[in-house]
Amino acid sequence: MPKKVLSLLCVLPLLLSGCGNSHQIESAAIIENVSVEEKDGQLLYTFYLLSDSETPEAVGVPADSFEEAQGLAARQYIPHLSLAKLELFLIQKEVMHEIMQRDIEYISTQASFSPVAYVTLCDSAALEKVKKSAHAQETIEKQLLLCKSNHPEVNIHYLSVFNSYADSRRDCFCVPYITAEEELKVSKLMIHKD
Amino acid sequence: MRVEVKFSSKRFLLTLMLCACSVILLQNHDLSRDASFTFRLLCLAAALLFCFGCYLPSVFLRKRGEDILSVLQSRPKWERWLITAFYCGYFRYTAVYFLLPYTDMFTKKYYTEASPCLIALLLLCCCVYAAFKGANVITRFGIFLFVLAMVTNVMLFGGSLSSLQMDADSLVPRGTLGDFLRDAGYFLTPCFTAVLFACLSGYTRNFRLRQPLIALGFTGLKYALVLFFITFAVGEYALRQDYQTFVLSRAAHFGSFSGFESLYMALATMSVFMIIALLLCAMAKAVNRNGSLPVIVLFAASVFAVHFAAANFDSAKEIFNSPSLLNLLSVIAAVVIPLFYLIIGRKRYA
Repeated sequence: MPKKVLSLLCVLPLLLSGCGNSHQIESAAIIENVSVEEKDGQLLYTFYLLSDSETPEAVGVPADSFEEAQGLAARQYIPHLSLAKLELFLIQKEVMHEIMQRDIEYISTQASFSPVAYVTLCDSAALEKVKKSAHAQETIEKQLLLCKSNHPEVNIHYLSVFNSYADSRRDCFCVPYITAEEELKVSKLMIHKD
Repeated sequence: MRVEVKFSSKRFLLTLMLCACSVILLQNHDLSRDASFTFRLLCLAAALLFCFGCYLPSVFLRKRGEDILSVLQSRPKWERWLITAFYCGYFRYTAVYFLLPYTDMFTKKYYTEASPCLIALLLLCCCVYAAFKGANVITRFGIFLFVLAMVTNVMLFGGSLSSLQMDADSLVPRGTLGDFLRDAGYFLTPCFTAVLFACLSGYTRNFRLRQPLIALGFTGLKYALVLFFITFAVGEYALRQDYQTFVLSRAAHFGSFSGFESLYMALATMSVFMIIALLLCAMAKAVNRNGSLPVIVLFAASVFAVHFAAANFDSAKEIFNSPSLLNLLSVIAAVVIPLFYLIIGRKRYA
């Protein structure tokens, strides 16, 4: 009898597979990059989903901050939203002063975001290119790495941008700036802290 | 009945070094915010020197071919029970002290949907098996863990080199007495390894005094490197989140290849596993020299019960999050009690 009870107790833990609240990877909405721009006088956060199609799958969420956009997206627009694989955060230059520091400060408190994901400013034409071509993100990331190797002072990650904002002894710092006339180009832009 | 064979003291000290290194892996806002990097190094040096002092009474006992648990065998029954009860309570406290931050980190940073108690239960099941196999087998596992630790450290530190931003201000020693007490108190935590040494060194052979010195030296080097990279590569960003070494593992990258948190979690998991397995082993040996399975299971169950209470009640959690209390108990277990028996033994031999 004790042997039977012991055997039962040994088999029972096998049922504790931890899959009770699991989400299948096929149903997860993995976000690769996020852009923010001003449209009709309001901020629009666009979440680009990981997919193998030529045209990116994007969902636009009007919100006042990244935190609000993330919450709204998860509740109303993109069920099973996952930002753990976020690689790139594109900020339209015109809205930079309004959101950049605040959003990066929020991101710095979230464990799920990689501190070495890229963050860059861009113009409206570059954002249009990102919306149309799935290869644009890849090109931007290559350009950012090239920019960093040519200009080590440029801050391309959340980590370094946040630290630059936090460093009270620095008045200004450099970030990359993506423009698109015919093709995507990266230059550096100096940000002066208020 | 299993017979414990004597094993190399070098291997045992390597295992204790890995246990000591796990303290910095679980660091979570334990250090003062305003002290500079150089000041922290001074605190670290002072604390590790004190840690070495904690080893000395057991080292002298070891020179006589004894450890504290074997000395107790020749003492009166009431005294043996009293000291054994203290050691068992200490081992239980230390096991929960490390299990709590580990399960907390796992569920906060790595897999938020897991229950801390379930993680603790699964880890304790593995620890029971390892403790049953004995200290010799656990130290063999330490060799594998050492290799994993080397690989992980190379990835963490090598991947953080590109983010280094040296700051001359942090190199100036700057800190107050309060900062010193807080930081040195935290860096003193590895002296729990001196208690493990005091209880389990009787099974080792070829002991040399330089072995604990080298182990503590490497522990200090690891701490210094982790602090260096957290200060200069992750910077202020590290302070925005819990568990700063975890943040370092996420920030380390080689070009676009980033995120070594899985390697880091594996190292943290195995280090905590090894600490608890050794504690269970020592606990069982304190009660029964042969360390039988029911005794180990009973101790593991009691550790789980205490962990469950601490995980659910903040007031209980505070008791198990106090480095000062752990240090006080460690000093009693590693210095006061062995020193007492050392003096008594000397009188007897005289």
